[in-house]
Amino acid sequence: MSQPGKEFNLTDYIMHHVQNRTSWDLPFVSPINIPQVLTLHGLMIILAAFFLVLMMCVFYRKDQKVPTGFTNMIESFVVFIRDKIAINNLGDEDGRRFTPFFCTLFFFILILNLMGKIPIFASATGNINVTAALALIIFSFMTLGAIKRNGIVAYCRSFVIPGLPWPMLILVVPLEILGIFTRTFALAIRLFANMIAGHMIAIAFLGLVALFGWFMTPPALLFAVFIGLLEILVVFLQAYIFTLLSAVFIGQMYHPSH
Amino acid sequence: MEGSIALIGAGLAAIGGGIGIGLIGSSALAGIARQPEAEGIISKNMLLAAALVEAPVLAAILFCSFIK
Repeated sequence: MSQPGKEFNLTDYIMHHVQNRTSWDLPFVSPINIPQVLTLHGLMIILAAFFLVLMMCVFYRKDQKVPTGFTNMIESFVVFIRDKIAINNLGDEDGRRFTPFFCTLFFFILILNLMGKIPIFASATGNINVTAALALIIFSFMTLGAIKRNGIVAYCRSFVIPGLPWPMLILVVPLEILGIFTRTFALAIRLFANMIAGHMIAIAFLGLVALFGWFMTPPALLFAVFIGLLEILVVFLQAYIFTLLSAVFIGQMYHPSH
Repeated sequence: MEGSIALIGAGLAAIGGGIGIGLIGSSALAGIARQPEAEGIISKNMLLAAALVEAPVLAAILFCSFIK
């Protein structure tokens, strides 16, 4: 989308704002330089962990008998995750053991996504490496966790569907094994694609102002704000879907139905 | 002709996504029309299914847009 003769390249503008970089542009101050080992998205992850600790340990009041306000909201989320996500898919005792993990996953992804929508911060879940790392955690639960829980023999036996004639088993067992990798990959791609698509649409519309002049500002701004509001729904939905699907997949490997 | 042929794939993925989510929405609306009390359950499941359908659609659009 670059026009010859203009210095503004829309593709480069979008790419610069969604990709990982080593300088953090804050308003009113000069850009902060971040070492290459950390990069901007690594700093965002550390900030998200800091916000998570702040949220859960400082703002959440444990001494209240009846939760009010912020504590009430967090408690409703946690109860929802425990009842509808963990216990539904993993059974009673495994569900309760896994609830802290799913709560961490949900709130971590939620905070990372929301930080991407605030213009000062950058979107760390818009980086395929970050979502691939999260999906790899789920993958390690699906393989190593299931082996540790059920034993290697029962784990290998869970790929074999009973009652099938043996020519079909030769087809089905590799497909089942491939399914583990496919589901992990889909988890990573789903979160990454949803976050990156929203960002690119918003930044593209804002970049249209620089491309076409100041009269584009009202429609471009209106559309970018509308997309931003839609993105808030997508942010919550994608965090919930990541947690729900990881619970479903871990439940499928921990308690195989066949 | 200019441009990369991979962008045709991005357009096709958009067609697939539009049809998929349209089907989900239409069955959700039919369900709500039959039984308006079930609106909460139906809308929640519709949103969940739409987000699941969006994943390959967005992945295909992003893959096709960045092939030179």
